[in-house]
Amino acid sequence: MAERLEDYALGKRATNTKGTIKKVGLVGGGSMGQEIAVEVSKAGIDVILIDLNPDRIEEIKGMISNLLDIRINRWGMTTGDKKAILSRIQFSTDFCDLVDSNIVIECINTKKSVSNIESRKEVFKSIEKCVGEDTVIASNASTVLIADLAIVLNHPERSIGIHFISPASSVDIIEVNKCVITNQVTSDIIEKFAKVIKKKIIHVTASPGNISTRLIIPLINEACELLMEGVGTVEDIDNTLMLGFGMQLGPFALADKIGLDKLLKWMEGLYDEFGDKKYKTSPIIKRMVRANLMGKRTGEGFYIYENEKRRSKAGSIINLGREI
Amino acid sequence: MKILVLNCGSSSIKYQFFNMQTEEVLAKGVVEKIGLNGSFLKNKRFDGDKLLLEGEILDHQIGIEYIVGVLISEKHGCIKSLEEIDAVGHRVVHGAEKFKASIRITMEMIEKVEQCSDLAPLHNPPNLKGIYAIDELLPNVMQVAVFDTAFHQTMEPHAYMYAIPYSLYTKYGIRRYGFHGTSHRYVSHRCGEILGQDVKDLKIISCHLGNGASIAAIQGGVSVDTSMGLTPVEGLIMGTRCGDLDLGAFTYIMDKEEIGLSAANTLINKHSGMLGVSGISSDMRDIENAVEEGNERAKLAMDMYQYRVKKYIGAYAAAMNGVDVIIFTGGIGENDINTRGAICLGLEFLGTSLDMDKHSELRGKEAIISSDDSKVKLMVIPTNEELVIARDTMEIKKNSIQ
Repeated sequence: MAERLEDYALGKRATNTKGTIKKVGLVGGGSMGQEIAVEVSKAGIDVILIDLNPDRIEEIKGMISNLLDIRINRWGMTTGDKKAILSRIQFSTDFCDLVDSNIVIECINTKKSVSNIESRKEVFKSIEKCVGEDTVIASNASTVLIADLAIVLNHPERSIGIHFISPASSVDIIEVNKCVITNQVTSDIIEKFAKVIKKKIIHVTASPGNISTRLIIPLINEACELLMEGVGTVEDIDNTLMLGFGMQLGPFALADKIGLDKLLKWMEGLYDEFGDKKYKTSPIIKRMVRANLMGKRTGEGFYIYENEKRRSKAGSIINLGREI
Repeated sequence: MKILVLNCGSSSIKYQFFNMQTEEVLAKGVVEKIGLNGSFLKNKRFDGDKLLLEGEILDHQIGIEYIVGVLISEKHGCIKSLEEIDAVGHRVVHGAEKFKASIRITMEMIEKVEQCSDLAPLHNPPNLKGIYAIDELLPNVMQVAVFDTAFHQTMEPHAYMYAIPYSLYTKYGIRRYGFHGTSHRYVSHRCGEILGQDVKDLKIISCHLGNGASIAAIQGGVSVDTSMGLTPVEGLIMGTRCGDLDLGAFTYIMDKEEIGLSAANTLINKHSGMLGVSGISSDMRDIENAVEEGNERAKLAMDMYQYRVKKYIGAYAAAMNGVDVIIFTGGIGENDINTRGAICLGLEFLGTSLDMDKHSELRGKEAIISSDDSKVKLMVIPTNEELVIARDTMEIKKNSIQ
């Protein structure tokens, strides 16, 4: 019989392994799910990624592989790192495979342009059916209140909001959003999790949109106003914030990166919650979503995207930037 | 006296356990993948008994607890109780200007080592974890720190200063520190012993050519210059590190590739060197195989590697106004006959004469590989950093008893 490592412990600390995060479950293999999977695996934690659509699994695998290749090409990691990261990510269409996860993060992203709070609730219920009693159930939703999801759980005290900001690889913060019933054990596990994946926690008092989404939405809306009034062009407005204030991306490049459909959902979510017109979706964004100009993902938004490069559009905003 | 030597890396611990009466290694091994999945402990006892244990090893303290557990175990151990461990010696990477020799570890010393962590954020913190772990497990056992940088603290300012605003030196301690000091120290002193000469009378150029590589000029028994700098990136071409690089080129690359500090760091530390140039591997053996198959990039990488070493030998001969011995050590220096040969050929102007017969048979053993009439001796001396750490630890322990 093989010898056990534990037999060589001196009884000091080695046998005490309680509270360690060995496995994290993710539900939803969209772009954020993929980015989180990489960040968690990079820290040496096993990942189980659930996506209900079996046809999507291979596609998601390929997208994660591409994501890592881009980083290798941009000198951020080596092929050895990629291999190690991929080896820790498992895929499944079955919630039951979440069973031994210490934390499960819901990060679904429906293509429909309606609020997906109901789908998130369903996911929360499905997760709870399959995991142990001490598993933390978290949501990466940005404009949904964690309390609204927690109510569907039998043990709501284990729920918490953890909001990653894309690109998760270079954004060193996560917004952590507790609700009134979130218990201390849950908070402690998330503290530990953040430390392991090397992110600083921004504690946010339960409020839809956290800090990040609340700030960027009025910014993008106001940028659209400037554009519609003809005050400046897309690139001039972006350059003003980038060169003038040192932002990495201007509001339009940022909107394209997030995806205008996702942005629209955020805007509607916040407008519903607060009723303030500063969150009300700009007509330009609505028109662009209808024309399927979602931004970087579809190759066109406020800019055109080709071969990982961004280029300006020459036409008037009346024609959504296109030359007629 | 029995001494445990620990070398704690970010996710690994290498260890050797010495009986200092005979300097025999009673056991040695490694703990890998600490805090990651698939962690394990590998131990090899003096009599060949081998042990592999897989299981959860969450941090350095737990890893060290298992190491000690194996050492005292009935079945695979070599001592009966913890009391037989007389002292523990640690490899500590960066001692900055605070430590010019090995030291006994006290709370006050730990604080100073903590202050050096800024300069070696990847290395010093795990080294310290090892120290804390022993402090908890074996609170009454003396601990000694042996610094990679200490041997080079004898360099003069004209050798260690960079030509940048002086205030950066006073503010952050930006200067050349050098690494592999324990190795350069061991081989230079061993060279004196082998030649039967006082090392103080010798001008030595020591080439530590391993996965990391550095070269040192040693005069009068002390380091007068070395190729690694503030960090281990400077100097020779290494497996994945670039060595000397035009800083103008570096900022130009960052601008053109639109990369930040973190990716730039990975670029020069992990994507460069032999791997970056050859596009094949960071391992010299793979590159040599590719050269044999006619791969031109592999050939280029080899040529660059040898040329860079040769340039440094020339520079250090000039720095010391001559050279008596050139030593090769480290995995490549000890075993790679092609590379060693190529470096030695073309140094005849210095007064070297390689004995092809001796050289082309020698792998991993102490020997003089120059011909008998060679004015400058060429030597191979396998390094033994662990033994130096054990000896320093014993020395300090003995002095404390007196």
